[in-house]
This record gives sequence, structure tokens and C-alpha cells, in this order.
Amino acid sequence: MRKPLGYQPGMSFLHRLHPLLKAAWLVFLTLTAFLIQSPVFTTLLALGLLLFFPAAGVRFRDVRGLRLLFGTAVFITGLQILFWNAGIPLLEAGRIKITDQGLTRGIYLGTRFLVVVLVSYLFVITTSPNQLAYSLMRAGLPYRFGFTFVTALRMIPIFEAEAQTVYRAGQVRGVRYRPRGIRDLEEKLTGFILPLLISAMSKVDALSISMEGRCFGKYRTRTYYKVRKKYRGDLWAGLGLLLGTAAVVLVLMQEV
Amino acid sequence: MIRLENFSYRYPGSEQFALQEINLEIDEGEFILLNGPSGCGKTTLALALAGFLFSQFDGEFSGEVDVSGRNPGIEPIYDMADLVGLVQQNPENQFCTLMVEDEIAFGLENRQIPREQIESRLSWALDAVGSAHLRDRSLHSLSGGEKQKVALAAILAAKPRMIIFDEPTSSLDPPATREIFEIILDLQQRENLTVLVIEHKLDFIEQAQHRLITMSAGRILDQQASHIHHPLEVTKPPVPYLGRPPILEVENLTAGYPDKPVLKGLDLALFPGELVSLLGDNGSGKSTLLLCLLKMHPLQSGSIHFQGKHIQDLELPTLAREVGLVFQNPDHQLFAHSVWEEAILGPQNFQLEPAAYQDWTRSLLAQAGLDDRFDEHPYRLSYGEKRRLNLISILSYRPRLLLLDEIFIGQDQVNAAFMISLLVDYVREGNTVLLVNHNPAYYPLFSTRLTFLRDGQLAVDAPLEAGLSGLEEMGAEAYLPGGRS
Repeated sequence: MRKPLGYQPGMSFLHRLHPLLKAAWLVFLTLTAFLIQSPVFTTLLALGLLLFFPAAGVRFRDVRGLRLLFGTAVFITGLQILFWNAGIPLLEAGRIKITDQGLTRGIYLGTRFLVVVLVSYLFVITTSPNQLAYSLMRAGLPYRFGFTFVTALRMIPIFEAEAQTVYRAGQVRGVRYRPRGIRDLEEKLTGFILPLLISAMSKVDALSISMEGRCFGKYRTRTYYKVRKKYRGDLWAGLGLLLGTAAVVLVLMQEV
Repeated sequence: MIRLENFSYRYPGSEQFALQEINLEIDEGEFILLNGPSGCGKTTLALALAGFLFSQFDGEFSGEVDVSGRNPGIEPIYDMADLVGLVQQNPENQFCTLMVEDEIAFGLENRQIPREQIESRLSWALDAVGSAHLRDRSLHSLSGGEKQKVALAAILAAKPRMIIFDEPTSSLDPPATREIFEIILDLQQRENLTVLVIEHKLDFIEQAQHRLITMSAGRILDQQASHIHHPLEVTKPPVPYLGRPPILEVENLTAGYPDKPVLKGLDLALFPGELVSLLGDNGSGKSTLLLCLLKMHPLQSGSIHFQGKHIQDLELPTLAREVGLVFQNPDHQLFAHSVWEEAILGPQNFQLEPAAYQDWTRSLLAQAGLDDRFDEHPYRLSYGEKRRLNLISILSYRPRLLLLDEIFIGQDQVNAAFMISLLVDYVREGNTVLLVNHNPAYYPLFSTRLTFLRDGQLAVDAPLEAGLSGLEEMGAEAYLPGGRS
């Protein structure tokens, strides 16, 4: 069974990297794909990113949405090739005219799209949201915001399961969710959302009692029990990021 | 340690007092069991003692509350939290993090306790609840009992002098219930903790040295009883004649997760006039089985026939018309804007003639004490009233087979007795009921047959008496009436 797109626990190099360093790489690679407008570069980058999936112990068949991702990339490339008419014609057949610029632009845009999504996938799949939240809080994010994120992560699957139960409870009582008109839609939506809303409110009450009862918000700052083990990979990834940034800056300066 | 004098409390917007002239003293190290019907003010009293009633709600109160020389009405909640900890009914709703370690450290980190001290308290708290092995687990992966142990450890780590438990075992199976109570008793004696437990499952704490306080309608009725037993008076349904064809037949059913089936080759037949109890540990697949019977969970293999027809050949609305299901949480199944509309939603959706359900539904609502509340919004009802309405909302269209998933959770004896009597009358008419139930105090009162789900199959499937013997033989003593071997 394919897993939903989300964190897949593991012990690979990528899994063990500091979440904030990974976030920095995510930003860096995304920006680079936009700044260096070379189809060769973005193609190599996309291929390189694909290699990281098996390296992280992630099977392609377990990654939801990959087929749609490649389909979209091909669609973007095809559109540019077919409809970008500037440049030297390479092929002409009736109304279809393929030019060198259209080909280059198509490959660049398609692979740039792949780079941006693949690097995000890798980040999501190899980064525990919990670790990310704690890392952000330790890096200075006010802990009230950090725990808002953690609470959302906790509650999403619970609300998802509850929504399914409410839906089923309606079906049991003969509710047909396919609406017949606006008024019917409104009634069905109210009937569906109200139980979820009531449940959410009772959860908020319970959670706020639990948090206050454990002194959440008593002080402006808090201590943290977990200490992240030092990982040599962080050093190499950090150095790589610095070198990569320097290289991109040099390339851009040469272009100017 | 605790003293309340003429304490009364009214929630904002409410006309009635939730607590009325409460006078109560609790000594250090005492074990108090607080009992009473749903909505009688037990939780409100707990919230008052822990201080949340004053920090969370802007209600009106009079009288005095004193907790170890402090007044929860004016003390900051953070200071009260060092004295009194509250473990709520559903651990899932009180977790603030995603991992066991983070959850137990949460309160200590908020108190700015240094890391080294957190380490020792975390280990101590986990050991105290016998859960050191859970330390590196994610909360999501824990069973119901394990979650409640972690919730207790998270409170315990702050070393409060008193812990209040608000129905801590309501959704736990009997073995987990017994384990939680053993842990609470052990802690109370070892740490000289003051403990107050709000609980309906009295049998599980029968042998403890405790004081029983009984409440009703916001007042304390009795606070010196050692233990009370009010056995439910229910007329059992007659043992049905099983010579007729079954209404439902399950053959070799495998279902669950593709890589981890919960039901493995299960066989079950239900006959008209039966009231069958389905027991089994949390996670054994009871709810999955109920969903499978209504085509709401995919089958990996096997077959289910309802009245001789394969359910795959029946449209869901057709099947739902004949097979009703009441889910666990009452709030998840209230859809209409008034009690009456809620009760007749099913019959209307199934396009029954009004004559077929209106009088019958009115009489059910009257029996449930809801006849003067037809126009009220269902969400204004008490928990027990909602539960009764859930059941009536299904009975109103008279499905031939009724599936009930833990409808007695959080119910007092009066509510439970009412629902049982409705079910007994219902099967007398030739209908069939399959009821998932964890409470050993109830099922022997009404079941014509007992089934026990273990390892994906029915380990016990026999008439009541033989079923009880079967449970004993297989070592499932926690499920036997009395809660103890």
C-alpha cells in the first residue's frame, strides 16, 4: 500500500541531518533552479535529486503523487515546445513548429518544476515534523507558535478520522451526500460540519486544561529536555551549502 | 488537604447551579471514589478542586474552597498545578506533543526545570506507571491503555500532592482498566498521594481502601459509604429459537490493513431474536467487524450475507435501512436542529410513511424522558440524553439488525438500564442486536450469546453461561462479572 505523502522514519544521511540545515538546502536548491536558467543544470539537478530517494531508503512506489508530478513536468515541457515559436526552427509539420528556444525553454521549465517538487518531497519524507518544530523553537521561534504547529500536526489525523466517522454515521441514517440543489447542499454541509465543530470545541477545552495544568505559558521561555546528538553529516552538509552558495554567486557574477 | 464549605457554582449562561452547597473535607493521602449519574456535577467539582473552573470559565460561585491552604478561586492556575494534577477521560485529547518522552517532559520544560532533573523525573514517572519500555515510542502508536498510562506519567512527573482522575478508564477494555486501577492504587499507597477518581466502573476498585462519595443533581448525597452495589434490574430476553435461517452470516472474513489484517478468517452467524455481546481487547477488531457488516470497510477475503444476499450485491442505503449502527461518540452522530428532527431523520431519509414511525418514535422519546424537549437542539442535551437519542434515532426506523459500538461508555446505571430495557424489548420483537461492550457489569444481564474476539477470530462463541466458562478457561478473567478473578 502506498503511504500518504509525509514523514517516513529512517536512519539515512538525509534523515539524520539537522532539520534546519535541510530547510536551508531546500531554499538554496529552489532558488538556484530559478537563478541558473540552464536546462542542462536543472536536468542534472533533477536526476541527482532522484538518486537521493533510494539513498534515503525511500522506494519510488511508496511516494504518492510521483506519477502526477512527472506527468505535469512532461505537460509543461510539451506546452513550451509546441507553442514557443521564437528561435531557429528544428522541425516544422503543418501548423506545428518546434524551435531550439522552445525546446530549451520547455526542458528548463519542466525540469525546474521537477527540482522544486522533488526537493520538497525529500524534505517532507525525511524530516520529522516534530523535530522540525522543536528545532525551530530552539532556534528562537517563540514556543507558543512552535506548539501551535505541533498541535496542528497531532490533530489533523484525529479530525480526518472523525470526519470519516461523521460521514459514515450520516450514511447509516440514510443521508445521501450528493446534494440536490443549493439548499440541500447547505443543509448537508451544516449537518456534516456541526458535529466536527462541536468535537473540535470539546478538544480545545480538554487541551487547554491539559496545557495550563502543565504550566504552558507560565514563563516566556522554557527548557528543553531533548538534546540533538552531534552528527558529522551536518558539518559536511553545511560546508556543501556554503560552497554551493559561493559557486552559484560566482556563476551569476560571470553571467552579469 | 481539601476543604469546601457551602460551595456553589453556576456556569455562565446557565440557570441551574452545577454545584450546590458542597461541604467536603479530604485528608492528605486519602483515596476518594466519586460516583453519581451523568451530569450530576462530578467533573465540575474536579475542575473546582484543580482550579480550572475559575481559570477557564467565568461562572458565578459562592462559598469557600481551600486546597492545602490555597484558594483556587484566586491563585494562578500554574501555582495550583503544582498541587493538583488532573487526568482527563480521553488521553488523546490531552496530549500536547507527538512522542512519549516529549509528552512527559512537557510540563517540566514549561516549569523551566533543568534538563538533568527532567531526565530523572521522566524515568521515575515512566517506571511508576510501568511504562519504561514506551519511552521512545510515538503517542500515535500506543494502545488506549498505554496512552492513559503516559497521560498519568505526564501529570505524575510534576509530583503534585493530589491527582484527580476523571473517568480514566471509560474507553479501556477490562484488562487495561484493571491495570490502570492497580497503578493508581499502588501510587496512592507508595507515594501517599491524595487521589480522587470519578468512575462508573465500581467493580474494578472494590477491594481498595477508599471513601465513596455519591453526588446527585449538584449535591453530595453521601460521603461516608464504603462501597455500594446497585445491581441493575433487567428482564433478560428469552433465548431465541435458532432453527430459523440466520439473518446475517459471516464466513471466513479477513479484513483490516493490507499488511496487517485484524480479522483473520472470522465466522459468525446471527439469528433473529438474539442479543449478542461482542467482547475483545482494544484493537482486536470489533469496530472493524461492525463496519464490514455495513460495507463501510473493505473485505480482503470471505463473505457476508444479510438475509441470504451477499452484501456486495446490496446498495448501501438498502443495507443501512435494515442494519442500523450506533457509533461510540454521541457527538459524531447528531445532525439535525431539534431532538424530534434528529429522531426521525433516518425514517425520513429512508422515505418511510409517517404512520410507520411517528407514534413509535414519540413513545420511545417519552420513555427516554425526552418528550418535553422535542424542539431543543440535540447538542443542548446531557451526555446521557444524547446517548439515548442516538439509540432512538436508529430504532425509529426499526432496522432488523442493530449494531452497537460501546454505547455504555460514560453512562451511569440509570441510563444503561434504560438502554438495555429498550434493547431487550427490541429483540423480543424478533430483531437482532450485536453489541460491543467492555463493561462486565452489564453484558451478563441481557446477552443471549457471548462472543469474544481474539487474534482475529471468535475465540468464544457460545450461549451466555457457556461463554462465561469459556472466558474463564482462556484466562480472560478481567472480562468476567466482578472485574476480578
